[in-house]
Amino acid sequence: MACDMAKIQEIIDRSPQTPGSLIAVLQDIQREFHYLPCEALQATAASLHVPLSKVFSVSTFYNAFSLNPRGERIIRICQGTACHIKGADLIQQQLTSGLGIKPGETSPDMKYTLEVVNCLGVCAMAPVVVVNDKIHGGVRCDKAFKLVTKD
Amino acid sequence: MVQMTINGKVVKATEGEMLLAVIRRQGIDVPALCDHAAVEPCGSCRMCLVEITREDWNGWKKYVTSCLYPSEDGLIVTTHTPELQEIRRNILDLYMARCPGSELIQKMGEEYGLTRTSFKTIPEGDNCIMCYACTRICEVLGRSAISAVRRGHAKVISGPFGDPPPDCIGCLSCAHICPTDVIEWHDQDGVRGIWGRTFDLIACQQCGKTIITRDFAEYLKEKRQIPADYFDICDDCKRVELARKMGGLVDQAKEVAS
Repeated sequence: MACDMAKIQEIIDRSPQTPGSLIAVLQDIQREFHYLPCEALQATAASLHVPLSKVFSVSTFYNAFSLNPRGERIIRICQGTACHIKGADLIQQQLTSGLGIKPGETSPDMKYTLEVVNCLGVCAMAPVVVVNDKIHGGVRCDKAFKLVTKD
Repeated sequence: MVQMTINGKVVKATEGEMLLAVIRRQGIDVPALCDHAAVEPCGSCRMCLVEITREDWNGWKKYVTSCLYPSEDGLIVTTHTPELQEIRRNILDLYMARCPGSELIQKMGEEYGLTRTSFKTIPEGDNCIMCYACTRICEVLGRSAISAVRRGHAKVISGPFGDPPPDCIGCLSCAHICPTDVIEWHDQDGVRGIWGRTFDLIACQQCGKTIITRDFAEYLKEKRQIPADYFDICDDCKRVELARKMGGLVDQAKEVAS
């Protein structure tokens, strides 16, 4: 996939060009592209004077960063204890079959990425599904697919 | 200077000097796997744990990694309590499961009374104890070619993107510093292979012995102001040459004296 190098450089240039900006820059790139393109890591390393190996180390350490392209909509199913008891498994089944992707995968049309998280800290709202940072509580398994696909 | 008590003995040390160095200077053997004089301490192997307390702590004590704990006045350090030995034994038990192929780890385990690990041995274990000695020495050399990639169980030491590291110069520092000898390399037909890369080797112009990789020599010449002909002949041949020169001087001196 071709990368918008100008955009990447613009994002990098927004932060102070010091090693201390590394995580902030990676977060900004992640926010813009939904993942960290290979070229972006190289440009970040060069601009912030951080060894590429260290940039790669940081970007693989944090779960918030992805090195694989992700869909426009990132769907997180909570599988924490409360959500699990309230039927998160059934929601997962519905979404897996409805979207045709397993947790951790992205649909071929780059629209959806399905993820499973262990707890979102809002157990009172269980079962919880998060669509692009919007939290949906009390999700019903028969309505889950509609919830994540509606515009 | 600060004054501390180590295993009941009063000891003087420079303020801020790490405890492990002070302890070892006393001739006390505290094990450590990730510690090396060439790199900054990182406290990852946990073997150098010691017990510390102070007079005013009212019997309260704690365990610290001695490689990372700076000396301070009035510290009371104990290096070999039954609890500490138990902790070290447990850590070694885990290391033995992770490093079935490392002689050093298995031998250290035996010293702590472990004939075999009580855990399930990791079948695909690569004998790496994740002490970062290799990545730290690579950083010290100014290359930072390799680093820890991913986290937790999936963590490995590798070049960026899992590819052969482009910044590697084949110096072998990582392979030599590795406590469990897991970094594979080989020299064959004037070529060195390490981290999936190959490097041309420079051979001694007199005896033909391998000296260094061409990339490493170039790097040293550029960064460390080493004379251009420094790597033409090996250290052994340099010594022979020097001995010849010195011998000649002695002969000359004798002639002058007679």
